[in-house]
Amino acid sequence: MSLAFANPRRFLTFARVAIPWVAVLGVVLTSIGFYSAFAFAPADYQQGETVRIMYIHVPAAWLSMACYGLMAISSIGTLVWRHPLADVSAKAIAPIGAAFTFLCLITGSLWGRPMWGTWWVWDARLTSVLVLFLIYCGILALWNAYEDPARAGRAAAVMTLVGAINLPIVKFSVDWWNTLHQPASVFRMGGPTIDRSMLWPLLYVAIGLTLLMLALHLAAMRNEILRRRVRTLGLIAASTESRGPSA
Amino acid sequence: MIDDPHFGFILAAYLIAALVFVGLISWIVTDYRLQKRTLEQLEASGVRRRSDSEVL
Repeated sequence: MSLAFANPRRFLTFARVAIPWVAVLGVVLTSIGFYSAFAFAPADYQQGETVRIMYIHVPAAWLSMACYGLMAISSIGTLVWRHPLADVSAKAIAPIGAAFTFLCLITGSLWGRPMWGTWWVWDARLTSVLVLFLIYCGILALWNAYEDPARAGRAAAVMTLVGAINLPIVKFSVDWWNTLHQPASVFRMGGPTIDRSMLWPLLYVAIGLTLLMLALHLAAMRNEILRRRVRTLGLIAASTESRGPSA
Repeated sequence: MIDDPHFGFILAAYLIAALVFVGLISWIVTDYRLQKRTLEQLEASGVRRRSDSEVL
């Protein structure tokens, strides 16, 4: 499957067809999820209406880690299989993952202030997510530090795989340490503890935003392929000019 | 819900989320148009790759 799209032209054809369908399906599912979250899901018996921040905070948190996971798999593709689109995929997903992590931090802070009485605490979950955001920023900086995309791709892939150690720390931080942040209530042994009336809207938003993330990823990959074509043609134009008009 | 004492926090969370999504989508769409226009200008000026194969 991955080899079928090793040819960028074939990938561009696939992306042109897939992006609108995936994006529209993502918007529809996200809209259903948000509508259910505000129209049907009840307020929490302790948190009241503030629990509605969960419907954006939790999917953003899941996607911040999913994007990093995708980036780590792409990095293995760059270093081990040298797949021609692996580093394109890794570069394209980095800003999207950083955006979801930023959103997770901000909405978490806005949820924490009324519920915990503070915008921020240095507990293991919050700190490890902040570290995840800083790793994303570092990877984005690394991509821009090299002129040659192939060299940048290898350096970013190494950094991504080193940083992947933070993913299990983020996930299990609430189990390994005593944190103000609550433990997992959806993806846990023994099943979700959250009531169905809240779980379904949450899952709709999460699946919808996942599809939107995939559509944005495909679109960003398409941009990166075009950027590299521009770079190649720019180098050809520059070398032709340097040889002079008679060459 | 508007009467809730924490309504401002809920509104702020969703407004910031909307801003992040609009920003991300606008950046990707603008970048696509920019790359496509630059590519078309280069091809119109007669610059061609040596082979028809896709070179990244």
